[in-house]
Amino acid sequence: MPSGNVNWVSKVLAVTEKDIVSEFRTRYAINAILMFALVTLTVISFAVGAFSPTKEVMAALFWIILFFAAMSGLAQVFIKEEESGTALALKLASDGTVIFFGKLLFNLALLFALTVIVVPLFIILLKTEPANWLFFLYAILLGNIGLAGATTIIAAIVSKATIKGALFTVLSFPVLMPLLIAVIEITKSAFLGGVFKDIAAPMQLLVAYDVVMIILSYLLFDFVWRQ
Amino acid sequence: MLKLDVLNLAKRFGARKVFESINFSLTPGESIAIVGPNGSGKSTLLRLIIGLNIPTKGKVVFSDDGEPLEFDAYRRRLALVSPYLSLYGSLTGKENLRFFAKVNGDNISDQEIDSLLAQVGLQGRGEDFVSAYSSGMLQRLKYAVALAKNAEILMLDEPSANLDESGKEAVSDIIESRRKNSILIIATNEKEEYALAERQCQLGQ
Amino acid sequence: MIWKLLIFLAMSFVVVMAFVTPSPMNPANTLGPVDVYRIFYFHVPQSWVATLAFLMSMFFSIRFLQTRNMAFDIKAVTANRLGLMFAILATVTGSIFAKMTWGEFWNWSEIREVSIFILLIIYGAYFALRSALPDPDQRATLSAVLSIIFAVSAVFLIFILPRIYPSFSQHPTDSVVDKSGKLTMGGTVSLIFFTSLAVFTALFVWIYDLSIRLQNIYEKRLLEDK
Repeated sequence: MPSGNVNWVSKVLAVTEKDIVSEFRTRYAINAILMFALVTLTVISFAVGAFSPTKEVMAALFWIILFFAAMSGLAQVFIKEEESGTALALKLASDGTVIFFGKLLFNLALLFALTVIVVPLFIILLKTEPANWLFFLYAILLGNIGLAGATTIIAAIVSKATIKGALFTVLSFPVLMPLLIAVIEITKSAFLGGVFKDIAAPMQLLVAYDVVMIILSYLLFDFVWRQ
Repeated sequence: MLKLDVLNLAKRFGARKVFESINFSLTPGESIAIVGPNGSGKSTLLRLIIGLNIPTKGKVVFSDDGEPLEFDAYRRRLALVSPYLSLYGSLTGKENLRFFAKVNGDNISDQEIDSLLAQVGLQGRGEDFVSAYSSGMLQRLKYAVALAKNAEILMLDEPSANLDESGKEAVSDIIESRRKNSILIIATNEKEEYALAERQCQLGQ
Repeated sequence: MIWKLLIFLAMSFVVVMAFVTPSPMNPANTLGPVDVYRIFYFHVPQSWVATLAFLMSMFFSIRFLQTRNMAFDIKAVTANRLGLMFAILATVTGSIFAKMTWGEFWNWSEIREVSIFILLIIYGAYFALRSALPDPDQRATLSAVLSIIFAVSAVFLIFILPRIYPSFSQHPTDSVVDKSGKLTMGGTVSLIFFTSLAVFTALFVWIYDLSIRLQNIYEKRLLEDK
């Protein structure tokens, strides 16, 4: 949808860039997310310190940390705009789709920043390591895309509500259930060292989930944004 | 030609009726002042006109030569200055101007930014973070952002809020310079600002 | 009025017959006490109505976004309210059955229990969002969007859940039709069951219609009075 003399992609990137610049200056979301991840990680390390949980449990724990850390920060992209009053300026400044993809990219960047820090800590503190790094990479890549893709529109919905933080987790959980189940299965395989046949089905489902959720959010976003 | 039609508009929040049967039409060159006491629904009416809120009854139509315009089409041609609209505190004044121009599809040059800042009396303050601005400076920057858009529909909610004398003069200069080619909608409860528009729409009776 | 009477009579018939006829289950195949299987006459129709209500509210949510007609919002939220009620009933009857036959009220490895648990969470989330939005028009739009997202995610769950609970399910699956799609029930059982299915559906439609009419009167009076 090009218009004026700036193309659509540059507009999307301008939104993402604006959020990244603001984030670096204020550290509004990243601090909350990282601290949350660290706290959860520490609690889990203490809890499992006395015994050694199976690889299956490790895979689930890893995604519990990421899920809750993500829940503490991903809603900020819209809550911040709504609370500071900049949402109205943004609504008048650009098309809903530009805003949606800009925010989606920012949330993705946030999630990848989170993973880069959590993965080494998880490996060191819980003394475990994926047997198959490639599968682990698949899980993180598709998992993060799904997490951001499905929850960006939920964040926009929640930003209009009178209670925000708790509601975001409540609304996101049923939406993310299929993603979490599939991604934990792939991660299990990564920790146990399986062959690709084991993860083919959850991989298919995960790719389909990511694509469908992003398209669905894109189609529904204007209804939420134009409020 | 651009035209705005507000047809039998009503808004209700649950049991509370804000207003009903609001009707008016505007074309470029025409102006209306939406007046009424606090809480009479002036800002709500503006949001409904912009299309950022759903009316309980009635509708708002922007049209060009009789062709109804979609939200994204008239949004490009509309600028708003309002107490409910804020700019990014973590960006500088110039960065704000550049960002809003870019997401709207325009590349704005440094000279243009400087001249916009001069027009609203913010010369030399463009490199400061907006979070360090006073409320009057923020209001001036909002005008700069609105001007950058070169809009044909200008909506001003409490146009001189937080402004000093020189700010008010700058605003009336801006309004006069835009009056001829724009649809002008002003929401206010200041008596002296009623005169900024040709017509009035009284709320809260 | 005539509907109320008919539903009452048919429901009485189902309740009485469910207890005076022999249990629908062949005593040779039971896990627990054979009489527990009578709950089937109530549990299955309740689950069916809960599913019906869920599908109806999805449909009305889509219609609302298409038309912005508040009547569809009232229909969607009413269907959801009743859906929640019947889902709770189905959960309770299911739990009683589970306790009597398998010894536990709840079992996480049972796919249907997990599904209904998620359905309850979805309803909970839907109403949590609605109560957090003061503007009715905004509430209608945002909860309709959420409904659609939930519906799509539920479709994914239908695909993924059988993967983690693949073979081990004790829930009777051949109680209505067997694997080849043929009716498994005998004459009396099938008469009671299908009457029950019809009467629960009628009960749902009756309450649904009543709530909608009530809401409409309420809305109309709001518009007239103030």
